[in-house]
Amino acid sequence: MALLRLNDADFGYAREAIVHGVSLEVRAGEFVALIGANGSGKTTLVRGLLGLLTPLAGRVERHDGLRIGYVPQRETLDPLYPLSGFDVALLGACRDLPFWQPAGAAERAATRASLDATRANAFARQRYGQLSGGQRQRILIARALATQPAMLLLDEPTAGVDPETEDAILEMLESLRSEHRIAVWMVTHHLHAVRGRVDRTLELEAGRLVKEQR
Amino acid sequence: MELLFGPGMLFRNAVLGGLVVALVCSLLGVYVVLRRLVLLGVALPQAGAAGIAAAFWLTGHSHAPGGGGHTIALLGSLASTFGALALLVAGQRLARSPAEWGVGALFAIASAATVLFVAIDPTGDLEMTNLLRGELLSLADRDLVVLSVVSAVVLVLFLLFRREILLASFDPEFARTIGREPGRADALLFGLFGVTIALGVLDAGPLVVFGFLVLPALAALRIAPSLGAALAISVAIGTFCSVSGFALAYRADLPTGPTSVALAAGCWLAASLAGRLWRRVRQSGASRAAATALVLVAALGLMSGCSSFFGLKPREEPLSRGTLPDLAARGPVVVSRFRNDTGNSLRIPSGNPLREMEVAIGAAEAREWRVTDALQQRAVHELARRGVAVLDFEAARAALPDVPTDAANAARTAHAAGIRTPVMFGDLRRFTVSGDDGIVVVRLDLTLIDPESGDVLWSGKAEGPVAVKSALTSQEVVLDAGSAIFAQAFGNDGSGSDAAKKR
Repeated sequence: MALLRLNDADFGYAREAIVHGVSLEVRAGEFVALIGANGSGKTTLVRGLLGLLTPLAGRVERHDGLRIGYVPQRETLDPLYPLSGFDVALLGACRDLPFWQPAGAAERAATRASLDATRANAFARQRYGQLSGGQRQRILIARALATQPAMLLLDEPTAGVDPETEDAILEMLESLRSEHRIAVWMVTHHLHAVRGRVDRTLELEAGRLVKEQR
Repeated sequence: MELLFGPGMLFRNAVLGGLVVALVCSLLGVYVVLRRLVLLGVALPQAGAAGIAAAFWLTGHSHAPGGGGHTIALLGSLASTFGALALLVAGQRLARSPAEWGVGALFAIASAATVLFVAIDPTGDLEMTNLLRGELLSLADRDLVVLSVVSAVVLVLFLLFRREILLASFDPEFARTIGREPGRADALLFGLFGVTIALGVLDAGPLVVFGFLVLPALAALRIAPSLGAALAISVAIGTFCSVSGFALAYRADLPTGPTSVALAAGCWLAASLAGRLWRRVRQSGASRAAATALVLVAALGLMSGCSSFFGLKPREEPLSRGTLPDLAARGPVVVSRFRNDTGNSLRIPSGNPLREMEVAIGAAEAREWRVTDALQQRAVHELARRGVAVLDFEAARAALPDVPTDAANAARTAHAAGIRTPVMFGDLRRFTVSGDDGIVVVRLDLTLIDPESGDVLWSGKAEGPVAVKSALTSQEVVLDAGSAIFAQAFGNDGSGSDAAKKR
């Protein structure tokens, strides 16, 4: 079943398309790697998939009530904020709360479950800014999971981490996919690391999908 | 504390106003620091000050009732603050230039504009000088109410939307993906900044606003384990520094705002050292509890050292009654308004433009503040200091709103108003300040009357030059010289315990 479908979609900024004529489907429970050189349009496509960009051309079909758990590049978050890993993950669990309502027991329980799933409970009480790259990544994935998504979309989750941590993160993503039936899409430069783990890879070049490998 | 909440309540409103400004600024300041908006924190208050200076200039600084000139002082501050914000946002979006370029230019332009507006409007000089120095000596009741209500609204909105503000600040992209629009939270946050800064600058000046927007938050972020704790610690530091700064300024005869800000800077330094010490101790393998205890002991030691250094005790000690009769059986003394027989208006331009605005629009002619009012207020305080039961200043003003023509008239008016306790009337015959010599020449006659019999219970006078140390305004002259004036009048200037003798 397709959670999301792009038909010949263009995405860009100020009416200038950066991603051209992309057609693809996101299916439940699949693990997909989106690869491409810097400037190939990966981030623009991610923003299009997230619904943050309106297609300049073509069509986007979303499954009713589709929730996408987004995991940004961890360097975009300011370590100065005095937030623990738990505080960061809790932001995801509060997705459905009205703005005035403080997080309650249900949101805390959901956060703990997400931290368990990403094996981040052990360091969740430490300050986010003082965690290692791999630990931060697990916290951010837990935050995305806490939003109860049907799809996880990760922007370079293994950038800047050592091979051992990269392996552990990919293994965790595989288990999330298989245990929770979540579609996992990740942007990466490291084709060699994901080869054999993902169901397919999509390669972007100059804003166009040029290759799909299974 | 007697000065703040005793019968004289000389500084009650000023202290409470400063407290409110410090509380809100130090709360919002956490986001000013976290979002790297410190430069904005200095530029916006300056823009607010420029708006006030422009308002004074535009209206010719007219004091005439009904002139309407100062009605735009508040609007000037709000308009210039929000106008500056709008220009910065537009500049960033249209020109796509780094934010700090616009903020830097804004600060330079606003600073120059403030000075220029004051330079071409000499009558506004005193008000702006007070404002820029951060002197918060007096605040009318209505100003305090406006400040408190607006600040309460700011606090409620901030608390209601705190998660939205955090999301928009920490990770706006993630906020969008879960259906929140960070632009709205940003608009709210900057709106709260704008209102707080515009009103804070009107009441306390740009220096105080900027100081409390930045320093308590910097200190809190050094030691706070969580965002909630950072907000709470920042507010605690801000309010502590505001009240303690006022007490220190009073004791050391310093301007209030800079003293509070300097104290906040001291807290930042102390917090930095405490944070460093805590990390060192933790790295050495000590338990969290042991590290916390050590840092707390160090902090307490520092605080006790500071308090003994500054001698945080009331500066004014109780005095004897002097020549005043024993009035214990007669009930509280009501101090009526003092008559001005000097031939000069003796108006005290307020450091608070909101009050000036009220006077200018004629909304409350009676609220115009004069040396005689300041002396009446001081008389209440000085009587209380001598152990005389006295009706508080505001109640006395409400009971006897008109200025009596003489002591007998004061007694008759009081009797007609149902007052049966002694009434004190003052007649100011001379009040000449010589700034060059640092003296004020005073002649003040005081009479205490029984309103039932019309008998004079006591009379006394203060006459001659009194030294005033570095007083810039008439209000400051009364503050500096008040103790000596009433020591003369009450006949205990030979006690050797009041400030006049020290000088």
